[in-house]
Amino acid sequence: MGGPLELDGLTRRFGPVTALDGLSVTVPPGQVVGFLGPNGAGKTTAMRALFGLTDLDDGTVFWKGAPVGPSERRRFGYMPEERGLYPNMLVADVVEYLGRLHGMGSLDAAAAAAVWLERLQVADRAASRVETLSHGNQQRVQLAAALVHDPEVLVLDEPLAGLDPTGIDVIGDVLVEQARAGRCVLFSSHQLDLVEDLCESVAIIDHGRLVASGSVDDLTTSGPRRLAVRVEGHRDGAWARSLAGVTVSETPGGEVRLVLEDSADSDAVLDAARRAGRVTRFVVERRRLSEVFREAVAR
Amino acid sequence: MKAVPILIAAVAVVLIRLGLRRRRTSSRSRPDRRRTSSRSRPDRLLTGALGRVHLGNTGLVAAREIHERIRSRMFRAVTLVLLLVVAAAVIVPTLHSGAAATTTNVGIVAGSPSLRTELEVLARSAGVKVDLVSVPDDSRARAALSSGQLDVVVEGGGAILVNAPVSAADASPAARYVRAVSQTLGVERAFARAGLSPQQAAIVSRARPLPVESLQPGKTGRTTSEATALLGVVLIFVVLTQYLTWTLMGVMEEKASRVVEVLLATVRPIQLLAGKVIGIGAVALAQAAALVAFAFLLGAAVGSSLVRGTAPLVVAATLVWLVLGYAFYSWVYAAAGSLAERQDQVQSLVLPLSAPLIFGYLVSLIGVSSGNVSLLVKVLAYLPPTAPFAMPTLVGFGEATWWQFLLSAVACLASTLAVALAAARVYRAAVLQTGGRVRLRGLIRRSTI
Repeated sequence: MGGPLELDGLTRRFGPVTALDGLSVTVPPGQVVGFLGPNGAGKTTAMRALFGLTDLDDGTVFWKGAPVGPSERRRFGYMPEERGLYPNMLVADVVEYLGRLHGMGSLDAAAAAAVWLERLQVADRAASRVETLSHGNQQRVQLAAALVHDPEVLVLDEPLAGLDPTGIDVIGDVLVEQARAGRCVLFSSHQLDLVEDLCESVAIIDHGRLVASGSVDDLTTSGPRRLAVRVEGHRDGAWARSLAGVTVSETPGGEVRLVLEDSADSDAVLDAARRAGRVTRFVVERRRLSEVFREAVAR
Repeated sequence: MKAVPILIAAVAVVLIRLGLRRRRTSSRSRPDRRRTSSRSRPDRLLTGALGRVHLGNTGLVAAREIHERIRSRMFRAVTLVLLLVVAAAVIVPTLHSGAAATTTNVGIVAGSPSLRTELEVLARSAGVKVDLVSVPDDSRARAALSSGQLDVVVEGGGAILVNAPVSAADASPAARYVRAVSQTLGVERAFARAGLSPQQAAIVSRARPLPVESLQPGKTGRTTSEATALLGVVLIFVVLTQYLTWTLMGVMEEKASRVVEVLLATVRPIQLLAGKVIGIGAVALAQAAALVAFAFLLGAAVGSSLVRGTAPLVVAATLVWLVLGYAFYSWVYAAAGSLAERQDQVQSLVLPLSAPLIFGYLVSLIGVSSGNVSLLVKVLAYLPPTAPFAMPTLVGFGEATWWQFLLSAVACLASTLAVALAAARVYRAAVLQTGGRVRLRGLIRRSTI
């Protein structure tokens, strides 16, 4: 079990543009952490900075409490946003080669390459040239290249972009499995529904700053309580409008969505509903992660 | 040719030195992971062998370059073409002189045994293969001549007969032989008429012109060394042009395919760059050495004059400067490759870079072919960008002492080091920046290697 990966006050300016503005994010081991933010928020710059691929004006990356240098990075696995493998090399060769660059012996690297290609369901293409593979399969090979040396920290920039549902399942399973094994797993994505399914926690950034972070549970249950209620014959929600501290937010398809202030009592709402008619649905609703995201970046 | 193993050893030492610098984290064994790769891969042997001695990342990068280059169809095609060109260059001249191997049929009428011996000696010294037959009389000899059975008839009485007149310009073996026989027998007849004893005749026939000394050195045709220098300068130019382009394209492709992003997450830029330069350089040197060795072996096999006609010192100087020239230029070309993203941008980069290379080549080539080493060549021999051509030229003309050679080599190595450090800076900054041509000025400032 390793220690956490910490991005501490990362700052990077490109001329007049500030890509990272004192960004601090912690990735605890054993969790899949979603790294979210609108386009241009600084996700890719932060991930590249982790690997020394962009210079920092300020800030430090720590792992297990110590600043990260070249020898620590050999224990990291990286899948960059702009995919890149040698187009002319054989699939198995390129994965093995990257394993060896991370310090593995020749036999170990070859064996690990074979295992990961099998796990990611591209073993049948091991002897093909990389450029002959489809986009989705190249992406799987790229992930195999990030995993081949059994890294303790996994940093993946949009690993799910452009994949079919099977590919998403395969790669998602691997990410969860890696986290369960005690690795730090940080991945960026715009597919918030998938992030919600895969991640224990998220860090949302905007304009190079952290704007929201925490466990998915906390973030989606925070804020005012929400109820979704369906009462037979009362599709407009008129029964709820007179209740103190309760607002009817919307009534899609006859379902009445309510937002409760702290003072409001959900039992009182249930009582009011039952007085109005037969209650066929009464659910305490969580917010979607997409709502949390929109709220966070709109501030 | 003794230089070749020494040079290969030197490259290996550099590889190992660079490799040992790299700290290695221990590779963890995974007992649960089986080796499933069953593909037969003979060229994996080389990579495997290099890997076993733990060369570090520079060595791994170099090994990959060697492995992938040798595997590529392009390399195999180019090597094949070059071997064919060398084979043609070696064999074609011998085919021409191979006409000398055809036998000249010589008939002797009423000749003494001493005449027969003399005709054989003449044939050997003229390099003509002859078949001597005795013909009983003059009329039969004439018949054999006109029917083509005989090429020449020599009569004991002192006459030489041929079928058609022999012109002075005719270089065929028969014609050369006829001229040699007619000259020698004529001189002997004159000696005999003058009443010289055989000893006196021998002394006179060994007469040689007195040597004429001049105050200023003069040129008397091209020497072996000069001819070798000419071949050497061309070889250096061909090999450098080909492999420098490979280096440039290799760096550009790595940047364009963005694989460099993954590589630089674990490899330092200077290691990646050095591995590439060393790997491609090793392939270049091996190919050049193989071509030279092939030329010599083939030359020896077909009895070409190439083996005898080559100056070993100039061959060694050529190979040394091939290595030095590649080392100097490869960094420049690699850095240039990192500035480009597309093929069309390469053209505008290569032109200014290759200008000193082409200049050095042309000036040296003109010097070698005119047989006259100008002051310009002597100056260029000490400038690293042009020395790879100018210095072997000076060696070929015997115009460079060992310390001058060494001085130029050290100057070249020192500037290679400076160029390498600058190239690594440009490379790191440029290769991680995407989107179009990179401006040089912005790169130098804040980058580390």
